[in-house]
Amino acid sequence: MAHHPSHATLLACAAGTLPEPHRRVVAAHAARCPHCAAVLREADAMGAALMETLAPAAMAEGALQRTLARLDEPARPEPQPAPVSLDAMVEGRRWRPVAPGIAMMVLIRRDQSDSRLDLIRVAPGLALLEHGHDGQEMTCVMQGAFNDGLETYAEGDVAENDGSLEHQPRALPGPDCICLISTTGRLKPRSWLGRLIGPLLGM
Amino acid sequence: MLMSVAPRPENHAALLMAIAQRQDRQAFATLFHAYAPRLKAWLQRGGAEPNQAEEMAQETMLAVWRKAGMYDPARSEPGTWIFAIARNLRLDALRRARLAVEEPEDTHPVALADAILATEQRAQRLRDAITQLPAEQAEALHLAFFEEFSHSRMEARLGVPLGTVKSRLRLAMARLRIALQDRI
Repeated sequence: MAHHPSHATLLACAAGTLPEPHRRVVAAHAARCPHCAAVLREADAMGAALMETLAPAAMAEGALQRTLARLDEPARPEPQPAPVSLDAMVEGRRWRPVAPGIAMMVLIRRDQSDSRLDLIRVAPGLALLEHGHDGQEMTCVMQGAFNDGLETYAEGDVAENDGSLEHQPRALPGPDCICLISTTGRLKPRSWLGRLIGPLLGM
Repeated sequence: MLMSVAPRPENHAALLMAIAQRQDRQAFATLFHAYAPRLKAWLQRGGAEPNQAEEMAQETMLAVWRKAGMYDPARSEPGTWIFAIARNLRLDALRRARLAVEEPEDTHPVALADAILATEQRAQRLRDAITQLPAEQAEALHLAFFEEFSHSRMEARLGVPLGTVKSRLRLAMARLRIALQDRI
């Protein structure tokens, strides 16, 4: 694994302050990356220590008694953790063709934090629109590989862009390149292809 | 109420084990007093209303009671384990997915008492390292940790470019990670 999320992103993920679409990209990466899983566990310890820096907030009167009275209540079932395999993500959903050799699947529509989560599938050799960003974008390669003009990203790798970058990812030879992409803000397509498929992508 | 002196966390590990082994309600009450007010403060800092924070702090302590048998003192210090439970309940409430972060295989089994001491020492080094962070790094760390994380918001709040925000966080995390490493 050559490319990881930033420490800031991992910390926000452990804290629970990262918007859900980005969080799901971190989950997909961390399930494949022991290094980042370790950082996430360390961040829990940091969270506990940071929590201690806050002044305690007094509990309501009788809070302990009320809690003691509930100790024997049955536990509620816990939700399933975030899906991290491609199979689990695509289950029950449909790919939507958006251009020759390119298909998309919406996983989370634009949420309150103006973030969204999509899968995008690109045939080998095809380039995606050249685009810049207004906001954050994170990509985890779920299958295949792409090169963004500077670096190659293989399965499990994360590319994290922060609004300043303009890039044109190109899928490498092999199986279709499938990426999990979280985006905050809107893309700024520049190329004719971008102008063509930008509206179709809803970006 | 006067500030009470909390028992040392190595005792907290023993209290969790007392709950697991014999449903010790007195042990639970002690942990409740030690952690519930901090959980409530953290939840309020993250934007919860006081009564919502109160409710979630109580729910967290209920989960501590139920899950005490799963606490492994060799893996984490009690505060870290309890924080992770609270964070997960908060994620549920926000309809955000939990992460299944895999635990590493144990490579060096050690005696329980040594393991408890080691996790407590790590936690203490971490607390010290946080108080020693340069102010600008501590500020970035608090913001990333306690508030909704967004690049533009961090830039606006700290008044510096994103690259600077990220490098402050990277430096802060590097210092704290060193504090977490075991020394021989």
